[in-house]
Amino acid sequence: MTERAGPSCYPLRAHVPTPGSGAPADSDGAALVTPRGPVIPQERLRNFSIIAHIDHGKSTLADRLLELTHTVEGRQMMSQVLDSMDLEREKGITIKARAVRLEYTARDGRTYGLNLIDTPGHVDFSYEVSRSLQACEGAILVVDAAQGIEAQTLANVHLALREGLTIIPVLNKIDLPSAQPEVVMEELENVLAIPREEVILASAKDGTGVPDILEAIVERIPPPHGDASAPVKALIFDSHYDQYKGVVVYVRLAHGTLHDHDTIRLMASRAEAELLELGFFRPQLVAVKQLRAGEVGYVATGLKSVRDAQVGDTITAARRPASEPLPGYQEAKSLVFAGLYPLSGEDYPLLRDALEKLHLNDASFTYEPESSIALGFGFRCGFLGLLHMEIVQERLEREFDLDLIASAPSVEYRVELTHGRGALAVDNPALLPSVSEIEVIEEPWVTLNIVTPSSYIGALMELSTSRRGAFLGMEYLDPQRVLLNFEMPLAELIVDFYDQLKSRTQGYASMDYEEAGYRPANLVKLDVLVNGEPVDALSLITHRDKAPTVGRQLTEKLKELIPRQMFEVPIQAAIGSNVIARETVRAMRKNVLAKCYGGDITRKRKLLEKQKEGKQRMKRVGSVEIPQDAFLAVLRMGDS
Amino acid sequence: MEPDATEVPVPRPPVGLYVHVPFCVSLCPYCDFVVLAGAAARGPRSRLASFVSALATELELRADRLDGAFGPPGSAGRPALASVYFGGGTPTLLPAGEMASLLARVRERYGIVPGAEITVEANPGPAERGDPAGLARAGVTRLSVGAQRMDRAELRRLGRRHDPDDVADAVRAARGGGIGSIGLDLLYDIPGDSGAAWASTLDRALALAPDHLSLYALTLDDPGAEGLTGPAGDHLPTTAGARRWRERSRPQQDEDRAAEQYEHAVERLAVAGFDGYEISNWAQPGHASRHNLIYWRGDAWEAAGPGAHAFDGRTRRWNAARLDGWTAALAGGPGRAPALPPGGHEEVGATAAAAERVVLALRTERGVPAAVASVPPLVDALRWALDAGLLTTTADDRVVLTTRGRLLSNELFSRLV
Ligand SMILES: Nc1nc2c(ncn2[C@@H]2O[C@H](COP(=O)(O)OP(=O)(O)O)[C@@H](O)[C@H]2O)c(=O)[nH]1
Ligand code: SF4
Repeated sequence: MTERAGPSCYPLRAHVPTPGSGAPADSDGAALVTPRGPVIPQERLRNFSIIAHIDHGKSTLADRLLELTHTVEGRQMMSQVLDSMDLEREKGITIKARAVRLEYTARDGRTYGLNLIDTPGHVDFSYEVSRSLQACEGAILVVDAAQGIEAQTLANVHLALREGLTIIPVLNKIDLPSAQPEVVMEELENVLAIPREEVILASAKDGTGVPDILEAIVERIPPPHGDASAPVKALIFDSHYDQYKGVVVYVRLAHGTLHDHDTIRLMASRAEAELLELGFFRPQLVAVKQLRAGEVGYVATGLKSVRDAQVGDTITAARRPASEPLPGYQEAKSLVFAGLYPLSGEDYPLLRDALEKLHLNDASFTYEPESSIALGFGFRCGFLGLLHMEIVQERLEREFDLDLIASAPSVEYRVELTHGRGALAVDNPALLPSVSEIEVIEEPWVTLNIVTPSSYIGALMELSTSRRGAFLGMEYLDPQRVLLNFEMPLAELIVDFYDQLKSRTQGYASMDYEEAGYRPANLVKLDVLVNGEPVDALSLITHRDKAPTVGRQLTEKLKELIPRQMFEVPIQAAIGSNVIARETVRAMRKNVLAKCYGGDITRKRKLLEKQKEGKQRMKRVGSVEIPQDAFLAVLRMGDS
Repeated sequence: MEPDATEVPVPRPPVGLYVHVPFCVSLCPYCDFVVLAGAAARGPRSRLASFVSALATELELRADRLDGAFGPPGSAGRPALASVYFGGGTPTLLPAGEMASLLARVRERYGIVPGAEITVEANPGPAERGDPAGLARAGVTRLSVGAQRMDRAELRRLGRRHDPDDVADAVRAARGGGIGSIGLDLLYDIPGDSGAAWASTLDRALALAPDHLSLYALTLDDPGAEGLTGPAGDHLPTTAGARRWRERSRPQQDEDRAAEQYEHAVERLAVAGFDGYEISNWAQPGHASRHNLIYWRGDAWEAAGPGAHAFDGRTRRWNAARLDGWTAALAGGPGRAPALPPGGHEEVGATAAAAERVVLALRTERGVPAAVASVPPLVDALRWALDAGLLTTTADDRVVLTTRGRLLSNELFSRLV
């Protein structure tokens, strides 16, 4: 059983009585007055994250920390308070980073302010993860003592080290009979050079070791440094849109002091706003008068769209602006593209409104109108990754009650045109210029880390080869498990690679990837022609060697799905004018009602009316009528 | 009557009468008609007697209504019937004597013109083909025999009990009994069919010198899925066995084979002197079914019996299919006068009616006048069909379906409705 039952989210603005903990009043330090009274100087602040592979116990540990510091009383405890969206709960991952302020009275008798910053647990959101980590000085690395290191463990640790964080290694779930702390400590030592003396053995479930973790946070993680009197520089590491407060950003003050009457300026987007409110998360929002260097909190900006306050941007105060932003800001970058279409054409305006509204809350996807013969009017959307695409699609369907179709996901190709006519980026295969106009096509590659039991090495090598992958290396984590390293075109990865990985390893392997730049490739656009007319939604870009197989599959499937017409219909797959696969839908011979007597007339008329409606719902490609289902089936071909 | 899109339909008196007799010795697995089989049809628990008396009542009640609306039969507004049709089911399961008295009442209450067509559907088996001489004496002029196929194994595959010899016997008996017009129904595109098997059935049927042939591609529908089998529906629910049979048989049908079988029949029957006067019907000169032409011309007819449909030129009306409800209403009871049975009706709007008339007319060899084909909103569809070779224009300036057009007629008709 998981502990995920219970209310689906904590009420972000609901009134939760402030727990009356017995934290002693502190008199040293200055300035910062919270509603709880005590003032916590910078040297007693600790900003940290928990990083873990999915299911290793990050959320459970966060619960325990909140509980032990009385941040949420036991009876108000909702299991795993940091995950706050329904979808996150269902998928068991954290999509949106959250932050919470804990007040902890350490064994030295002093009260510390601990800011726990949650990180998204999926590779699609690695930029957001890196920004969250940038807001910290330390990270608790949670590793399941029964499972050992997984791909995301490695990815997260590397990110944390890159940000220069102090790492507190925790072996979780030591209560499990299958726990192998010795083996896993060895893995940590071998693979990540983490000395076993630093490892804390814990059970987030029964609380073992959790007090030690709190102590370690205080003792091992350095306090933030930063000059409270310098011009304000605050890093945005997350945001959400609130109907009343506008965009609420989650910030780490690197320098300076932000006051609740300040006018703020966003250094990348250049937006300015009079801020509405400042505060902490406990985990509900608690307003304060000011936030100082080293603090983590929120800023209600009143801005209307999260686009104006993107993750990674730097906030400064208009009265005394900083000259330089904090380093590392990137625009959200889409890796995966697909057309989203309403199942029924009338829903197009609804979809447009839904995208607009969702975009206020998640600026990391892009959308622009496009239309297709097969699917009608829709939007070309860009996503951080496949999971992100799935989440956006699901939120649109669920929160806005839409039925959507997605065209096959594509990556963004870079095309250099002939005769020095420049370059272009193409994320929709239908828009690729003709062969003669192309000098070079480049596609994005990734490096791929896979952690797997060693018995599956062969299967994974085979999978990777079939996806044009190149083997880079292998490292034994322990005698039974290895870390495999590949390079692969991203386009190969986004077509059900993850499902294949899971199914070929009985679910044991885990993976993670990183962008590895663009490389030229022998790619071709494969068009599907029905009765000589190209079908835009089915065009795809594929490696030349794979084109014949893909072409054959597509034409065979379509032959099955296109109903017979009054004339013979050729179905072709072609590269430019070169046909590489062909099937024929034979002409319809018979469509007649055998009997039509007195009792049949009404019934037969209804039948004819139904045929007529069916025809009207069909999509026309030239003079060929094709049911929308046929397109859907072809688009879903990759899924099965 | 020629189709005309501008005409506003008005109720008219019937020129034909359809009577549904819902009993068969056994149920064919592909059958969608309102039929009860087994104990209901034969033996001590047979429901024939209560059916006949309820039917007599319905005929009286319907005649009362017609009297009220159009005057008594024979009066200026109320022509006598040109056709009476006993369909089923297997109406020949009714004793000839009963048929005689029913027809006598019909003659009295509705009128029957001299030389009218009086048809009875029959099945060929010895126990179900009835007494043709008795029927002829009762006034029956035409017998339509459900032969289906002329091969024993094929008949068994269709779930039929009779043999090809029974068909021959039934035709001989009908001729001997003095029935003047004999038709056979045949099925093609049956499971495991072939061109040769069909050609042989057709030849053996022709050897019996029928006056009329109805050739149907086996149609495996699901009336339940069409929503026709509810308590007030005009169809009975399909049994689980029949449903399974249809599911098994559907993949054994073949559109190309069916088209070839149809084309073969068109040629073969032309050689044999038959006139294909409707998509599925062929007749020797003078033997076209006048009753069915009533339907295709959009004329009005009255109807009685469970599941039967009537049309008065404006409204289509039907009885619910369930025998119990039908009988209960007509039988009346303590303190409850006999009443017309439950059912439904549909008012056909002017546009739908016009489209319907064109569709029905185009099913026949007469087609529609070229003038009609040039009136909107039909003109586009008809022009498309002329271009596609589905229609052709005749010497007397009418538009008719070609053979290819007949086979693909729904492609046109679905553009007309
Ligand atoms: N036995 C045991 N189970 C644990 C422990 N910590 C977490 N779990 C369980 O492991 C599963 C995943 O935990 P969760 O906190 O949701 O993992 P996350 O995906 O990293 O947030 C849940 O079913 C937890 O109840 C532990 O210390 N011992
Ligand atoms: S004999 Fe005709 S009416 Fe009777 S069950 Fe068979 S097909 Fe139906």
